[in-house]
Amino acid sequence: MSSVLLRGGRVIDPAHAGSGQHRDLALREGRIVEPGAGETFDLEIDASGCVVMAGGIDMHTHIGGGKVNLARLLMAEDHRAGPNPIALPRNPLELASCGNCAPGTLATGYRYVEMGYTAAFEPAMVPSNARHAHMEMADVPILDHGAYVMLGNDELFLQMLAEGGPDCLNFAQIRDYTAWTLQATKALGVKVVNPAGISAFKFNQRKLDVDERHVHWQVTPRQVVHTLARALRELGVPHPLHIHGSNLGVAGNIRSTLETIAALEGLPAHLTHVQFHAYGTEGAKKFSSAALQLAEAVNENPQISIDVGQIMFGQTVTASGDTMRQHAQSDLASPRKWVGADIEGMAGCGVVPFRYREQSFVNALQWVIGLEIFLLVRNPWQVVLTTDHPNGGPFTSYPHLIRLLMDRGFREERLAKLHPEVAADCALRSIARELTLDEIAILTRAAPARLLGLADRGQLGVGAAADIAIYREQADREAMFRTPEYVFKDGNLVARAGRVTATPVGGTHFVAPGYDPAIEKTLRRHWQAHGSINFDHVAIGVEELCRCCNGGRLLPAECHPGAS
Amino acid sequence: MTETFEAPSFLGRTWTCPFCPLACDHLGVEVGAGADAAALVLRGGDCERARRAVARFGASPSDATSQVDGDACDLATAVAAAARLLAASRQPLFGGLGTDVAGARALYPLACSMGAICDADMGEALMRGLRALQDRGQFTATLAEVRTRADLIVFVGGVPIDLAPLIGLRCGIGDTQVPARRVIVLGPAAGDAATLAAWSGQGGVRVEILPLHGDLFDTLALLCAGVAERPLPAAPEALRALALRLRAARYAVLVGTLARLPLHGELLVEAMHRLIDSLNRSTRAAALWIGGGDGAATVNQTFTWLSGLPLRTRAGPAGLEHEPLIFGTARLLADDAVDALLWVSSFDAETQAPPNRLPMVVLGHPALAAAAGRRSGLPTVFIPVATPGIGSAGHLFRTDGTVLMPLSAVYRDRLPTVADVAGLILSALREGKPS
Repeated sequence: MSSVLLRGGRVIDPAHAGSGQHRDLALREGRIVEPGAGETFDLEIDASGCVVMAGGIDMHTHIGGGKVNLARLLMAEDHRAGPNPIALPRNPLELASCGNCAPGTLATGYRYVEMGYTAAFEPAMVPSNARHAHMEMADVPILDHGAYVMLGNDELFLQMLAEGGPDCLNFAQIRDYTAWTLQATKALGVKVVNPAGISAFKFNQRKLDVDERHVHWQVTPRQVVHTLARALRELGVPHPLHIHGSNLGVAGNIRSTLETIAALEGLPAHLTHVQFHAYGTEGAKKFSSAALQLAEAVNENPQISIDVGQIMFGQTVTASGDTMRQHAQSDLASPRKWVGADIEGMAGCGVVPFRYREQSFVNALQWVIGLEIFLLVRNPWQVVLTTDHPNGGPFTSYPHLIRLLMDRGFREERLAKLHPEVAADCALRSIARELTLDEIAILTRAAPARLLGLADRGQLGVGAAADIAIYREQADREAMFRTPEYVFKDGNLVARAGRVTATPVGGTHFVAPGYDPAIEKTLRRHWQAHGSINFDHVAIGVEELCRCCNGGRLLPAECHPGAS
Repeated sequence: MTETFEAPSFLGRTWTCPFCPLACDHLGVEVGAGADAAALVLRGGDCERARRAVARFGASPSDATSQVDGDACDLATAVAAAARLLAASRQPLFGGLGTDVAGARALYPLACSMGAICDADMGEALMRGLRALQDRGQFTATLAEVRTRADLIVFVGGVPIDLAPLIGLRCGIGDTQVPARRVIVLGPAAGDAATLAAWSGQGGVRVEILPLHGDLFDTLALLCAGVAERPLPAAPEALRALALRLRAARYAVLVGTLARLPLHGELLVEAMHRLIDSLNRSTRAAALWIGGGDGAATVNQTFTWLSGLPLRTRAGPAGLEHEPLIFGTARLLADDAVDALLWVSSFDAETQAPPNRLPMVVLGHPALAAAAGRRSGLPTVFIPVATPGIGSAGHLFRTDGTVLMPLSAVYRDRLPTVADVAGLILSALREGKPS
């Protein structure tokens, strides 16, 4: 259908004034338009009693690429129901695909869309695995997608950083290399994972604090973070450096997290799955919530944004580029098995199954810390709702998480079921805040769109893309957000009452920042000396990207070098 | 070992060899040269396997035609016949699966539409690795990691020269960036002594051959115990020394070949990873598995990401069923558990379908036409397809599983790709043409 009128819904659009008013919304040719007097529409929908929001955007979810597929291979039990096979879909539009914490790409698309999400971003694309990641993302039906490429553990970057010395005299070269990598891998942003730590693990270091030196390159995570953040700033890449900090999961790691923020020296950055990085060492068990310290730091630094990485109780699998930390935690695997890899002189990965238990002191506290962070950060535009799928729990738990944030009574009911020491002593008990619909809309669509530089997404202004979710108002927010009445992608109805109605191919968001091509000489020499593929095969061209992406639309985001 | 990673200059463009699990891209292909001007010729270095495979292609695109029961026909007729044949099946098997990502993407919906069981030609070897992974996990390295960092490389059960002739080169033998690299073959196969003799001294590499103590199961069990520093009075001195050497290495890489492992080889895969886990508690180590060539690993990866489940799965009446033992090609054929076969072999001119008495559709290299001709009383459809990396572009996973290599066409083929044909058959089935 090329035109739709949504009549009388309560439009929640926090990017614009007047959010929360009941009004009509018109869609034409995939965009939101001003409805003209007497205009007719191919479809009119009575949205009274409903909330109308932009389509959900998950800016940190492991949906595709090497480690995700390893998780699927590892978690055979996630793809059967006990001894029985998972039933085939009844919807003829769906192909067979299954899994809860490690779903197939097809199931990933269907389940996201049924919840009202219309875009998802893979946060940890290894450069040498970029083709694979794009293939998988393109096989996630309906959703637009994009990826952040991993830098800061590749030997070339660390070598350049070492050669530049403490004053980074070769910064222009590093900036060009960063831009080239974004172009070559068709990424939307850059992520650093355990800065220099994945490489350090290859040299048998078992931990790396923010000011500790990499045993071989003699550079520190502080240098890595600052240099990458500066490079992205100068290149004008809309999404600032996406940081998975040092010492993930370690008691007392709040210190590393605050040091990482300090290392940025005021440069913008996005700290991801901060729940896993907000631990203190207080109490008898030497493990405590540092949510307040973290929230204060975020409140004081408006240039910093976060996503939470909330944990949800039950079985999941953690898939991370952080080989160092995943190896350290592999003895906690449940079931007892795990996958790790050293990758191409540029990255690593670790896949460790976890079962988060309500009666585990540590897990219960992790749950509490995540919620405390959500509720203690004042400005919702700095926070994004994630479980770091599947690391904290599968994305299908988002409606439950939304209810926890919007409904204090429900939250306390769940809190009472946790490990008694946690339930009795946590600060969460005294936090009365309940997020509003506007705040939920910010956390799940408006803020991620803004943080990624997707100007026409995550909002419902005239000219915006017609990615829209319509939820029936219900007191039970979990039920409400579980099954929207209607979901539109670029103006097409793609789900109706929890049932997929069309499966268009999603588009690929990426950036193409400029660089001095002289850098390619250095890169060619490096690949010849240390690589395992011909340098001319490293970069993905636009034509090849189209083939990888199943012919989905290419959605380049503009860079604004020199802008502040 | 004089090869370099320089692109061959005469070709002026890069080419990825699709004919072994290493997917090397430092060689090239020349059209219409050499002694046999009618065939393609490998340039820029040598590789016996690539040379043989390349020579099976003509210097100009093939004009092979489809056949139904041995009679030449056009593509549309063959597609219609294939759709009829498959529609009549109650339990089809998709075997071989020698194709690239695009082929796999197109075969998956076709398989779903008819509940086909899917298994690769090297499915048995693939499942050895997969079952160990499902039960215990793994820790692996990639070719660049081995090349740049491995100071000790142990080939367990021999060097897979036949399967991956340039394995030494790709592991960095002859490359001086890792000083005093040591290569050990544990349980050598015939010919390994000569291979090692050729490698010896290249880039300062030192080589050594160690015999097994009993079989591979016994040897690896002893080695695991040795690496874990458990007392081993009965172990031979050489194995104890190897355990010490592994512990002393900065980055030991154990290279295994799935297709060479004996019955219950998944236990050997587990043992190797147990050994590596043990080493990783104090130093660094990883495994490199050689296998998954001819599209097997590629189709396995693609089906896994689409559905959540790897090969040897079907979308059956009860749901998505994954049976790594029961859904093996040889077993299914022996048990008469399938009643039609779709055989796919777009890379290898010699990978024929196993002997069977089933109605069969072959999507294959043109040279497979003879084997898929008239078969008495058995409906047979042959559709010659383009080979990714020769007649079409494409993508193929390398043996280490993290690098998806781009394949470029040597020439633009007249033949359809596997993806084209799978799409046409699915359309024909959906349109209800076969009745």
